[in-house]
Amino acid sequence: MKAGKLRFAKPNKYWVESSHKRYVPCAGDTVLGIVVDSKADNFLVDIKGPTLAFLPVLAFEGGTRRNIPKFEMGTLLYARVVMANTGMNPELACMDATGKAAEFGPLKDGYMFESTTGLSRMLLKSPPCPLLETLGKKLAFEIAVGLNGRVWVNASSPSIIILVANSIMKSESLSPVQQKIMVDNLLQRVQ
Amino acid sequence: MEEKREDGRSATQLRPLSCTRSVLNRAHGSASFSQGETKILAAVYEPKAGTKKNENPEKACIEVIWKPKSGQIGKAEKEYEMILKRTLQNICILNVHPNTTTTIIIQVVNDDGSLLPCAINPACSALVDAGIPLKYLAVLCIGSQQARRTEYEGTGLFMEVGEKIKNGVITSVTHGVMTVSGTRTRRNQAAV
Repeated sequence: MKAGKLRFAKPNKYWVESSHKRYVPCAGDTVLGIVVDSKADNFLVDIKGPTLAFLPVLAFEGGTRRNIPKFEMGTLLYARVVMANTGMNPELACMDATGKAAEFGPLKDGYMFESTTGLSRMLLKSPPCPLLETLGKKLAFEIAVGLNGRVWVNASSPSIIILVANSIMKSESLSPVQQKIMVDNLLQRVQ
Repeated sequence: MEEKREDGRSATQLRPLSCTRSVLNRAHGSASFSQGETKILAAVYEPKAGTKKNENPEKACIEVIWKPKSGQIGKAEKEYEMILKRTLQNICILNVHPNTTTTIIIQVVNDDGSLLPCAINPACSALVDAGIPLKYLAVLCIGSQQARRTEYEGTGLFMEVGEKIKNGVITSVTHGVMTVSGTRTRRNQAAV
């Protein structure tokens, strides 16, 4: 039982949505994890949950015993949670359900910061939230959002990365209209 | 019997209360609670893997750290930690994350009496702020009987989720001397 906002979707769906700094692993989520250790059969990945997650060494597209990827400690990965049961460590995979790579894998360069789970969900909404739309019209950048409260931003110059990261962090409690106004102000100050 | 206390309050009057959530940036949940001059800050850190040696690995374990305003940690602080730990263990749903430890840190910012009742409230609010699943919300109720010069501080169940308001007492700390019937009347009065 968690505290949160009561949401309603027609015709008869009610649910409680809460936003926290913790993440509770759930099967089917896409998360950003950091490699903590590597064992013989799997990598130990930290996904901001109560326990570390296992990423099997063969869970990559075209993965065999001969071409095992080597990740150093601290590598940022974009992965999918395959299995998450209480009491067991969650299992990840760097490929989607059909076995294709589909953008999963290590993320190079860029900047990663932590946010709340509610903010991650808002960034992943479709149609896209006004914040990302307004930023995307003027700037060129790439982001990866993990449902565990981690966001990765990459762009050609550090100032763009900082601008995008700051605007995302500030937009948590703002309504869509306020987000658009805030982003317009930030962009005006830069250009 | 309305005796006035030192600061002009009557026997049944509380000091002004105020509570703020999410005060700390890095903690997973935090709350600050003040009752008059007494101010207490509580911070909660998420379930971390592993329990302590004597604890049941099938359940989550709760660890309470009490930091006094000044001075070293002594027996009184350990007692507060133990009382808070038992109370909070009754509120939290422990089966959700087995074999993990949730850490709650209580920092006394200002001490003007009634520390323990004042600490239950921010601890509970910080747990809600962090999203730890709870069975009930715990609130404190203080009773005192001026005539016999005893004080009775208790924490009670305020609300059972999903059912109507039903009162029950989780923890009670008593100082002084009372007869058994006196204790019962105090408890019934507090439950109302």
